Amino acid sequence: MPNDKSKHLINTGEALDNLKRVYTDIRTSVANSDSLPEPLYRMRKGVKKERPRSGKRRKVAFMRYGYYDIAFRFFVEECLDADFVRLPEATRRTLELGTLNSNDYVCAPFKHILGDYIEALELGADTLVQFSGPCRLGYYGELQESILRDMGYEFQMVNFSEVSEKSAKETVQYCKKKINPDLSMPGAIAKFVVALEMIESLDRFNDLYLEVAGFEEEPGACKKVRKAYFDDMMQVKTMQDLLTAQKKGMEALEAVPKRIPNDPIRVGLVGEYFTAVDAHSNLGIEDKLQAMGVSMARMLNMTSRNLRYNEKNLRAGISEYVEYDMGPTSSLTLAAAKRYAEEGFDGIVHMKSSGCTPEIDVMPALQRISKDYNIPILYLSYDSQTSDTGLDTRLEAFYDMIAMGKAR
Amino acid sequence: MKTFDLLRQGSYSDIATVGIPRAFLYYRFGVLWKTFFSELGCQVVLSDETDRLIVEQGDAISVDECCLASKIYLGHVRSLMGCCDAVFVPRYNRLGKRKSFCTKFQSLPDLVKTTFEGPVFQSQLSDDAPESQLSLRVLSLDVDEYAGISEEDAFVSLGMQMGRSRKSAKRAYERARKEQDSYDSKIHQELCSDLRSRSTDSAGQEKMKILIAAHPYVIHDPYVGKPIVDMLRGMETIPLYADHFDRSRAFKRSREFSETLPWLVNRELIGTILELHDEIDGVVLVSAFPCGPDSMTNDAVMRYIKGRPILSITVDSQSGTAGLETRIESFVDILRYQKQGGYGHAER
Repeated sequence: MPNDKSKHLINTGEALDNLKRVYTDIRTSVANSDSLPEPLYRMRKGVKKERPRSGKRRKVAFMRYGYYDIAFRFFVEECLDADFVRLPEATRRTLELGTLNSNDYVCAPFKHILGDYIEALELGADTLVQFSGPCRLGYYGELQESILRDMGYEFQMVNFSEVSEKSAKETVQYCKKKINPDLSMPGAIAKFVVALEMIESLDRFNDLYLEVAGFEEEPGACKKVRKAYFDDMMQVKTMQDLLTAQKKGMEALEAVPKRIPNDPIRVGLVGEYFTAVDAHSNLGIEDKLQAMGVSMARMLNMTSRNLRYNEKNLRAGISEYVEYDMGPTSSLTLAAAKRYAEEGFDGIVHMKSSGCTPEIDVMPALQRISKDYNIPILYLSYDSQTSDTGLDTRLEAFYDMIAMGKAR
Repeated sequence: MKTFDLLRQGSYSDIATVGIPRAFLYYRFGVLWKTFFSELGCQVVLSDETDRLIVEQGDAISVDECCLASKIYLGHVRSLMGCCDAVFVPRYNRLGKRKSFCTKFQSLPDLVKTTFEGPVFQSQLSDDAPESQLSLRVLSLDVDEYAGISEEDAFVSLGMQMGRSRKSAKRAYERARKEQDSYDSKIHQELCSDLRSRSTDSAGQEKMKILIAAHPYVIHDPYVGKPIVDMLRGMETIPLYADHFDRSRAFKRSREFSETLPWLVNRELIGTILELHDEIDGVVLVSAFPCGPDSMTNDAVMRYIKGRPILSITVDSQSGTAGLETRIESFVDILRYQKQGGYGHAER
């Protein structure tokens, strides 16, 4: 088992000490336990189910996921009236922690998120939140909970997979039960509307940022504006605050002096839900392309995948390539790629975590789009070993290729 | 009006010979598929057993990162080109709550179509390739009980698209389902009689029973899984297939293991391990690299199942079984030592 490498060392040491002893003396032996398997920690007898007491504020942490921690913060503090544990920027250690404690060939987001959770628990979080999804994501929460319990952590898991097939109302009630039993539902729902609007606002800002940030006259100007905007969004309490902060941020970004060429190089970003969105997971691909002076577009975000997702209509637009829904983000990936191709983009970058089945399965269709519209696609697959330098080389070569194609 | 009434009818009516790839869910629903098409009066062509050529051909047209089983599947489809009017590539999505299949089975018809129409496959064809090799016709259906399309709906609808009346399509499906059910209960009975077996090995000891928990398309594939089963048999143990166990019982039992585990086959395998826990000596997990569901459930099984030694084997397209043999041999040796009282038993 790769999960407890350290335990293996101890076991080996123990075994060496005990060569003369009878095998069954060793505590870890399996030979003498004829009993039934032990249930998961959560279901074990004698472990009392922890229920939040009223009056006690829970410290809630989410995984790191791009800039959405701003919306997660609002959801926890304003909607649920609990404390939000904000995580600092991820480091190399984050992924190392996650990798060390997960199976080798589980998808990379699992490892990133597990690392996030360990760091959140170290920072004092007592409640972790995991989403649900139609692929391996649907089982993330339960397995991560089990790994963290085996590591000895104590916490409460809010796992949306447990209510994945229930209504929105039941989902909010689940949050209430798990996080804050004193919650007033009408107030929470009103705030929830603001949280959803916040996600859309953040995505709108990011769309503009990706499009224009590559052409700023003074390097770093757009990033500075974005930071101020994010700081403002972190302070938002009401819908009015949100609208004000959004207007201010958008205007500031538009006001940054830029030199936009007549026919800029444009690249479309497509791919898997986590890796293509989260900068730490894709090794900051947006920053790299921005530094090369590229205008970018990324249809994949929470607005288009979660809030306004209409898989059937997306698929109707790509019916010459696929007949069925191929899984989590596949229809969105193909619809976005086709749109960029039709709009005359110069290239497409497809990002996924290594071994992501649905995104692997769309690749033959992407190859066809690439051929039909004569648009180059760079396929990137990330795992916990992917190196920054290797990525730079590939991106530069890709840039040179599309820039030369344009000059011709 | 049911969903499938809206489908075009008779669009497959010219198909007389149906090709079935001997891979993936063939190992679960094969009897049903074969019976259904023969009942409709079609000729069924089954691809040959997996061999090196099929693996290589599938590998050549697959995206590198696909799992081994998926590469093998595409190899089988390739081998059927030119031998039939259309290849049967069904889409299986969900059979109910927490009864999903891997997303691979959701995308299979489109994956096959786009692969064989795509630039990678087309560029591999030689200039003088016969016309039958150039294009592939896919015969497909969609089973998604959660979206209201049951297995029966899907097959009856397919029969009607092939130009049969609803009545005869329904009759064909019912016969096929019955055949599959009786086959399933037959293999369950075989498993039970193996469980009761008290046969002894050459040393006069009762043969050990080792449960193999693996996706059926991995363990029953003659190229991938069979060598492992043969090795276990060769070491005078009784290998038992977890996927042969009564599926509904196993599924029910799996609730004890997990609340949110989405995959039907993995649930059944784990439920079987729990059901048979007391009657077996050890468990072997076999996964095709890099299987998505197994990448998570193997970890969970290792954490959860106590009291029985577990060997986890991952197979990829690299051939050569020497390393495998060593691992299986040492696993069986350990089980034997334990059964005789542990490493120190000689001193007692």
